[in-house]
Formats: sequence, C-alpha cells, structure tokens
Amino acid sequence: MLLVHRSRRAADAVRTASLGGELVVASVVLAMLLAAFGDAVDPAWTGEAGLEFALFDFGGELSLFGLHNWHLLQLLAAGGLIAAGIAMFKAAVGRLFRPLHPAPARVIDKVPIELRPKTF
Amino acid sequence: MPEFLSAGFLSALLTIVLIDLVLAGDNALIIGLVARNLPKNKQRSVIFWGTFGAIAVRALMAVLVVYILDVPGFLLAGGLALIWISRKLLQPDDNAANRHAGPAAASSFAGALRTIVVADAVMGVDNVLAIGGAASGSIVLIVMGLAISVPIIVWGSHLVIRLVDRYPSVILLGGAVLAWTGYSMIVREPLLQPWLVAHPPARFVIAVLVFSISLSPWWTARLSERTQPLVVLLPSLLVWLLAFEIADPHIEKLGGLFTTEIGDYLGEAVRWLGWLPLAAGFIWLREQQRPRRAARS
Repeated sequence: MLLVHRSRRAADAVRTASLGGELVVASVVLAMLLAAFGDAVDPAWTGEAGLEFALFDFGGELSLFGLHNWHLLQLLAAGGLIAAGIAMFKAAVGRLFRPLHPAPARVIDKVPIELRPKTF
Repeated sequence: MPEFLSAGFLSALLTIVLIDLVLAGDNALIIGLVARNLPKNKQRSVIFWGTFGAIAVRALMAVLVVYILDVPGFLLAGGLALIWISRKLLQPDDNAANRHAGPAAASSFAGALRTIVVADAVMGVDNVLAIGGAASGSIVLIVMGLAISVPIIVWGSHLVIRLVDRYPSVILLGGAVLAWTGYSMIVREPLLQPWLVAHPPARFVIAVLVFSISLSPWWTARLSERTQPLVVLLPSLLVWLLAFEIADPHIEKLGGLFTTEIGDYLGEAVRWLGWLPLAAGFIWLREQQRPRRAARS
C-alpha cells in the first residue's frame, strides 16, 4: 500500500481513474452484489412468488440474478459485459437524442435553446 | 479438467495477483529507504539479506495465517480487517508522494537488517491476511501467492508503480477485490453459520454493507457535498435493520408488552421509522460542523 501511494495518481485513484475504468470496476462491483444476492435468495422463494422465470431460469441455463457461487473470473467477465452494454447503450442514446444546450445569455437575438451540430 | 485449471482455482489465483499488485510492493520501498545511507559495498548485501529476510518472514506469516484462520472468530476479524485495508487503500492521500513514509535510514548492517525484517512483519500483515483469505486454506495457492509476491518485492516495484500510475483504476479494482475477499471471509465464519442459515437475506445485507463501507472513499469523491451524508446514512440504516433482525428472537423472549399486539405494532414502528430522528440528528450535526470543516480545508 505504501508503494502504490508513492504515485500521485494512484494515491488519488478515486479522482484520477478514467471514466471507462470506473465504469468497468463499478460494473464488477454490481456483479459481485448480484452474486451475493444469488447466494442469499432461496430459489424456492422466487418460485413461490412466481418469479422463477424472471429471475432464475430465463428459459434455460442463463440466470440473471442467480449468480450463485460465482468466481472472480466470472464476475470480471460479467462486469466487463455490463460495462460494454452500458457504454453501447449510452452511445446509442446519444445518437438518437441530440442534447439541447442553452444559447449564450447576452446574445441579442436570444432564443432559449440552440441545436448544436453533434460531434463524435 | 485438472483442479488447477478450474475457474475456482484460477479466480483465487487472480485474486491473489491483484492483492499482491496493490499490497505487496512495500518491502522494496522499505529496503531502499533503510539502505540509502549505507556505504555502497554494504548496500548490496543489505539488499540481498533484507530481501531474503523479508521473504522468510512473509512465508512464516503465511503459514501462521492458514492455521489462525481456522480458529473460530478469526475469519470474521480478518474480513473486518480487509474492509479497513480496502478503505485505507482508496482513501486519497494528497501528500503521499512528498512524504518519506517508512523507516529511517540505518547506519549499520545489523540495524538495517533488523529494521527491514520488523518493518516487513508489520507492513506485510495486510498482504498475508488477504492472501490467506483468498486462498481459503489451500496451501498450493498460498505458496503460489508467495511465489508471485517475491518477484514484486525484488524487482517489480517500478513496474507496479508504472502500472498504477498509468491505470489508477487498478487501485479501485484492488479495493473491490479486497472487499469481496473480506465479504467471503465474513460469510465463511463458523460462528456466524447457524445465524446466516436461519436468515439468508442477511448475506446480501452484509455484502452491501461491506462494499458500501470499504469503497466509501470512491463514492464520497463522486457525490456532491449535499448528498455525501448518504455514504454514512445508507450503511447505518442497513445496520439498524440488521440489528432488529438479530434482536427479534431475544425481544420475544422478554415477554410482557413485547408479546402483545400493541407491542408488536410498536416494535415494527420503531424498526421502520425509529431511524428517522437519528438520521435527522446526524444531518443537523453535520450542518453545524460545516463551517469548521470549511475552515479546515
């Protein structure tokens, strides 16, 4: 710990980490929490509540919230997939909806908003 | 498939590598700091014997940790310690690079060796504890963990620094892996097993608590001043609800008002609403201290 804190950027990792890196780690944490949820929830209970298809079976082997006893490798892969999904969703939404920006306040022919050309 | 190619084994190995990356490199720094004032001819032997001593101490501690973690209560204590270590790893340290943390330079060969071995024994506890927890008692994994940490101790410090400097997210991932290891140790604790079996949802509550406490420096850095109390309030609310879950069977044994219908209603009211005045008090106290915090920063 002493060694990694010799680096200014690493000592302040909570502020200097890239957005992409943060998204991946946050997704891994989410996968870890889902795995803990899968360990905690009794599948019989979800069956009684009629949720087995929504939560556990999903028509086959895939189980959404039942990441039961998952290992770190699986959690990292799941986290990576979640992060990739979120990034693609964000890119798709960004293409579909152009953000509206306020026009400069002191311009004479002030209109409340302007549509800027989208830059990627 | 052989056991060493299974997902479980490879995952435990990856956990150990990540833990080593963020926690194991301190020895190289200590050896460098201790040996810096010695004559050139003595420096080389201090570095060699210091490294040898550091590795021997680490191996001894790793063997001890395997046996100690079998004692009831130590898995829980180790898990709680890992939460604290993860928090400390993520806590921003603005003066870290300027401060000469670590032991003072030694002036004699014996003094240098003693300082290196003692400093390693103290500073390697977190690393050995985390590896012991991640290995779940597997001697093969412990030995592999040591085999991976030794090159980091001897040669890898520059590479580690360069890696975490280029990708600070590795530190965040290291913190998350430490929190996950801490959670796994807590839920494996034999003293808690009967209670965890009787209250399955408590596992999830413990996981949320572990992650929210150990990664709180990260959340705090991302929240505005106004929403920062949530970092304390949400885990506290979980602890409050968990405390009622633990106390429930004991309260029923008390009899009297607690077994009547009114007592039931009162208990439920306190459980679900009793935290509100405490939360309001906490926010009020925080607002009172705001000028003092602003003056300090």
